[in-house]
Amino acid sequence: MADRIEGVKKLFTSKSARVETNKGDAYYEKLFEKCQARIEELKTQQPINNRLDITDVLEMQGIERRDFLKWASAVTGMLMLPASFTPLVADAALLMNRAPVIWLELSDCAGNSEALLRSDGPQIDEIVLDIISLEFHETLQAASGHQAEKQLEDAMETFKDKYLLFVEGAVPLGMNGQFGTIGASGETMHDHLLRVAKHAAAVVAVGSCATFGGVPAAAPNPTGAVGVMDVIQGKPLINIPACPANPANMVGVILHYILTGQVPELDSLLRPKFAFGYRIHDNCERRAHFDAGEYVEEWGDEGAKNNFCLYKVGCKGPMTFNNCSIVRYNEGVNWPVGVGRGCIGCSEPDFWDKYAYERPMADAKIKAPTGGVEKTVDEFGLGLLTAAGIGIGIHAVASAVAGKKEDGGEA
Amino acid sequence: MKPKYKQVKRMTAFMRLNHWVVAFSMVGAVITGLYIGHPYYQTLIAEPAVMKYVMAWNRWVHFMIAIIFDVSSIVIAYLYFFSRFEKPYKKIIPTAGNIKEFFEVIINLVMLNRRKKFDSTHSDSFNTVFFLLFHLMLAWMLLTGLQLYVHGLESGLSSIGSWWPWMLHLVTDWTLPVSSWMIGSTATGTNIMDVRIVHHMTMWFILSWVAFHIYYQVWRTIFWKEGDIGIVVSGTKFVKEKEA
Repeated sequence: MADRIEGVKKLFTSKSARVETNKGDAYYEKLFEKCQARIEELKTQQPINNRLDITDVLEMQGIERRDFLKWASAVTGMLMLPASFTPLVADAALLMNRAPVIWLELSDCAGNSEALLRSDGPQIDEIVLDIISLEFHETLQAASGHQAEKQLEDAMETFKDKYLLFVEGAVPLGMNGQFGTIGASGETMHDHLLRVAKHAAAVVAVGSCATFGGVPAAAPNPTGAVGVMDVIQGKPLINIPACPANPANMVGVILHYILTGQVPELDSLLRPKFAFGYRIHDNCERRAHFDAGEYVEEWGDEGAKNNFCLYKVGCKGPMTFNNCSIVRYNEGVNWPVGVGRGCIGCSEPDFWDKYAYERPMADAKIKAPTGGVEKTVDEFGLGLLTAAGIGIGIHAVASAVAGKKEDGGEA
Repeated sequence: MKPKYKQVKRMTAFMRLNHWVVAFSMVGAVITGLYIGHPYYQTLIAEPAVMKYVMAWNRWVHFMIAIIFDVSSIVIAYLYFFSRFEKPYKKIIPTAGNIKEFFEVIINLVMLNRRKKFDSTHSDSFNTVFFLLFHLMLAWMLLTGLQLYVHGLESGLSSIGSWWPWMLHLVTDWTLPVSSWMIGSTATGTNIMDVRIVHHMTMWFILSWVAFHIYYQVWRTIFWKEGDIGIVVSGTKFVKEKEA
C-alpha cells in the first residue's frame, strides 16, 4: 500500500517544484561523510592546469579569510545545507580548479559571459568563477579559428567524461541549423553542441536562451531556436535561467558538483531548487506595499518615489521563480525591483512572449483562442459578453413582438 | 378560457440555499478577482498604509470564497448522482429521449416558445447540459485557482501541514500542461502564466453563461408565464394544466 501511495505521489507530483528544505539528520550525516570523502580525494589530485590558487587571489584582492568564510556560510545556506557544512563548502571552493569546464557560446548576446567579465569590484563569486579550470571559452580565450578548434579537441580528449559543459545561448534548428555556424569548418551550433556534450559529465545551460530558448526563441522564432534541454538527451542537465544567469547560482551548481559529485536537486524545468524553488514575490522588499494595495501607477510618480509595489507597472514577481530577491545581482548590490522597475520573469520559459509585456496580467496582449489575433483577455471577454448580450437582446425583442401577436390573436 | 396552473416543486431548500451561495460567491470572486488581476481601487483610499492592506483583503476574500465554492461544488457533485430529489446525471446520458428533449427545448427557444413539445415540470435535458457546462467551467476555475494558490506554497509547507500543498499538487498539477496547451505553448511547454490566463479567461466565459442563464429564466417567467424565477426563491413553479 505504501508503495502504491508513493507511486501515485510520484506520478502526479513529478512535474511540481516542491522544496523539501529539511531531510532529517540521518540524511545529512550520510551526505556529510560522502562530501568529506570526495573532498579528501580531490585534495590528493593536482590542480588541472596549475593555474591560480584561490587563497592567493583572495589575498591579492584584499579579501580576508574571515570574509571568505562568511561567503562560504552564505553559500551553504543558499544550497540549503545545514551550517555544519560550511567548512566543507569552503574547502570545495578552494578545490574549484580541479573541475574542468568547457564553455560553449551559441545563439545569444554573450550576456552571461559579459555579466561575469564586466562585474566591477570582483567579489568572491566572480573570483571563484575565474578560478575554475576553464579549458575552453570562445569569447574569453585568445585562440581563434583552427587554433581554438584544436584547443577544444585537446580539452575534450584530456578530460573525457569528466568536464562540466556550460552552454550559453539557444540552439537554432531552422534550415538544418544553418542559422548559426561556428568555427573555421562552419559546423552548425547544433552539431557543435552535440559533439562537445557527448563526453561531458554534465551539461549546465546558463541563461534564458540556453535554458528555454529565450529571446531567440520568441515568437515568431524565425531561426527555430530551442533550449539545450530540447536537444541534449541522456545526460545530467541543469538549467540556470535568468537574463543574465546569476553568478551565485553558477557557483552554487559547481560547488554542489565538487562537494557531492552530483547535480543538485532539480525542479520540473531542471532548475536547481536551491535557487528556483521559490518565487521572488515571496521575498520581495516591496511585498508589504503589494499587500497594502499601494502601487506605482506610472513611472516617476509619488508611489515610485516611495518604493511602492511595481505590480501595476507589470512586475511579474508573483509568477517568477528565482532567488534574485535574496541573492540579488552584482554581489548583492541591487536587482531590478530594487532599482524601481518590475520583474519581467526572465527565468521563466517563454518569458519574452508571456512575461515581458510590462503591464499587469489583466492588460496582457496575448493570443485569443479565436486565432492569431492579438487581443487582451479582457477585451476578448468583454467581446464575448457583448455578443451574448446582443444575442439575448435580439431574442428578447423577437419574443416580445411574437408575444404581442399571440396576445392579440387570443383577444 | 384562461389556462389553469398547478404548482410543482422544483428545488429543495438545500438546493436553493446552494444556488444563492454560488451566486453570491461568484459576484464576490469576480470583483475580488478583477482587482487581483488589475488593482484599480486603491487610489480611492491611498492613505499611508495604516489599517489598509487592500490587496491582502481582496486575496483573503477571494480565497475564502474559493474554499466555500469548492465545498459547495463537492456537495453538488455528490447530489448529481445521489440526490433523493432528482438525479441530474440521468438527464445528461445521451439516450434517445434526452436527445429529443434537448433539441425540442432549443427549437422552442429559437421559435420563441411556439412549439413547446416537452415537459416543463422537471429540469429538462437542455437545462441539465447547460448546467453541466457551468459545473465543468467552475471545476476548471477551482482547480486552476488552487494551482495558482499552491505556487505560493513552494516550500512544501503550510500553516495546516505539508499534506495540503502536497494534495494541491496531486490534484491540480495537470492543469499546467493543459493550460499551456490551450494557450498554445511554445518551445518549452508548461508555463505558470498560462494557468493565470485561462483562469482569467474562464471568468468571462462564466459571466457569459450567467448572462444567458438569467435571461433564460426571466424569459421563461415572462413568456411561459409559469413563474420559473420562483424556483430559486420558493422552490416551486407553476405549470399550465392541459386545457380541459
